Amino acid sequence: MGLGRQIESFLDDRFDTETARGFVDKQAHKRLPPNTGWFHVFGSLSLLLFVSQTITGILLLIYYRPTPEAAHESIQYITAEVYFGWLYRQIHAWGGTLMILAVVFHMVRTYFWGAYKKPRELTWVTGVLIFIGTITFGFTGYLLPWNQLAFWATTVGTESANKVPLIGSWLQYFLRGGDAVTGETLSRFFVVHVIILPWLFTGLVVVHLILMRLNNLATFERVGEEKPSPPEYGIPFFPVHVAKEGVVVVLLLAVLVTLSVLVPWEIGEPADPLSTPAHIKPEWYFLPSYQLLKYFEGPYGAIIGIFACSLPFFLLFLWPFLDRGKERHPKRRPLAVGFGLLGLLGALFLGYLGHISETEQTFFGKRYYIDLLGRPNEIVDDAGTSESKAH
Amino acid sequence: MMDISEPSTRRGFLDWLIAACSSVAGAALVIPGLVYLWPAAKGGAAENVEVEGASDMSPGQARTIQIAGKAVIVVRKRSEYRAFLAACTHLGCLVTWDSSRNEFLCPCHAAVFDENGEVVSGPPPSPLPRYQIKEVGGKVYVSAA
Ligand code: HEM
Ligand code: FES
Repeated sequence: MGLGRQIESFLDDRFDTETARGFVDKQAHKRLPPNTGWFHVFGSLSLLLFVSQTITGILLLIYYRPTPEAAHESIQYITAEVYFGWLYRQIHAWGGTLMILAVVFHMVRTYFWGAYKKPRELTWVTGVLIFIGTITFGFTGYLLPWNQLAFWATTVGTESANKVPLIGSWLQYFLRGGDAVTGETLSRFFVVHVIILPWLFTGLVVVHLILMRLNNLATFERVGEEKPSPPEYGIPFFPVHVAKEGVVVVLLLAVLVTLSVLVPWEIGEPADPLSTPAHIKPEWYFLPSYQLLKYFEGPYGAIIGIFACSLPFFLLFLWPFLDRGKERHPKRRPLAVGFGLLGLLGALFLGYLGHISETEQTFFGKRYYIDLLGRPNEIVDDAGTSESKAH
Repeated sequence: MMDISEPSTRRGFLDWLIAACSSVAGAALVIPGLVYLWPAAKGGAAENVEVEGASDMSPGQARTIQIAGKAVIVVRKRSEYRAFLAACTHLGCLVTWDSSRNEFLCPCHAAVFDENGEVVSGPPPSPLPRYQIKEVGGKVYVSAA
């Protein structure tokens, strides 16, 4: 008898292994609806990236030191001295960005497929929580290398919390662990990034996956009129869908390693609390909110601005309960599809404005200074003095 | 003997009692934990803090120092000193002093403050908070207003 067989019979003698085996079999060979295709891989891609972040994150933790004195140096040590340290740091930093992309793509897919409709509203709601968790991972992780850009982007980011009505200044004080961004802030962000969020996030993902399995994947059939698909038409999760995911794993690893080698993340200058460098901007996924916030100034403006920035999140949470039409196919939901496209393009446009704001850009052969609000001001430097910078 | 004609009120009361006791016990466990998360004040008082080497500053020069955990910018104009909270009132970047223009500039969204900390242009909603200066025996002391 082989060792494997021996272990099996040891377990069989002591536990009801039949039931466990039956469960695993059923889950592995579950039939997915026939329209399950390549667009359906973004969910598992997100999960995969989370697993990768967890593994690389734990590896980084071995050498990372979460104090203002040691953090920056420890990242330098990881990159320069530790065997393969550069690789794991790069994969973690790039993985963070790709994970946000994957989660966004997954949301976009389920939105346009109408998969959030009854009975899958709660799957969607847990998904929105996962999205917010992913952004929070990014925000807290970004500070950990304790470099100038991260320090000041975090200062500006937590300062925005000040604009929340009534509780703003408390919220900011609480997030920072004091008046300014200091070692206290680093500790807080560190604990959230490596302990609190990973566990919360794991719980959320487990619930999300259980809900997904209980309702199976959505088809394009109208709400309440889904026909239980006979097994012979469904796509077996294993091996057919798993094979697709295998392809995605390989592509993902290739992309991660390529980015890590060709476009490495900088470590940057160590944080200096007494000097702000030029060109502070948040990470790309905060740019739409950051830009939107700029259009609302003054005491009332700030309140409206915070409201305008949180409205999309409220809408996301409530969407399955607001859009109660029975159709799922995008062609038969022009309104929801139009609204979704509008939101998506709006976010892209705002993000782009945020990206080019306060820089010089050339459009159609003319140079422009793009001001804070994204308005182009033509630069006419005949004498080199008449730059029309809008101060 | 239990009065079986009224089980619901007695059971109901017991259920209520158990729920109430567990809530109190739960709150007793959770509240200290939440309070623990509130940052304890530290950094000392921002009163009469000496600006090291202020007398070495030449007129027009500025220096950013840390007072009670906050960045404060001290400017020397001719013989007089001024001090302001250096964090821009827009989103908290630290302003610098431009001695040729006699203005404070914010590197983040190009705000400009005049030599009194008043907003000249840009998004900040309010002036830079001013600190008080005291000169005693050739030494310069700063206090939060
Ligand atoms: C689940 C467990 C995780 C652990 C234990 C962990 C741990 C760490 C550690 C120790 C660092 C500091 C090292 C460094 O900056 O390179 C870090 C940075 C970072 N983390 Fe994570 N992380 C986890 C998950 C995530 C996730 C899910 C995201 C994605 C959104 C993420 C995004 C980031 C980012 C963007 C950085 C900054 C990278 C850099 O600039 O070097 N982390 N993380
Ligand atoms: S932080 Fe100074 S202008 Fe925005």
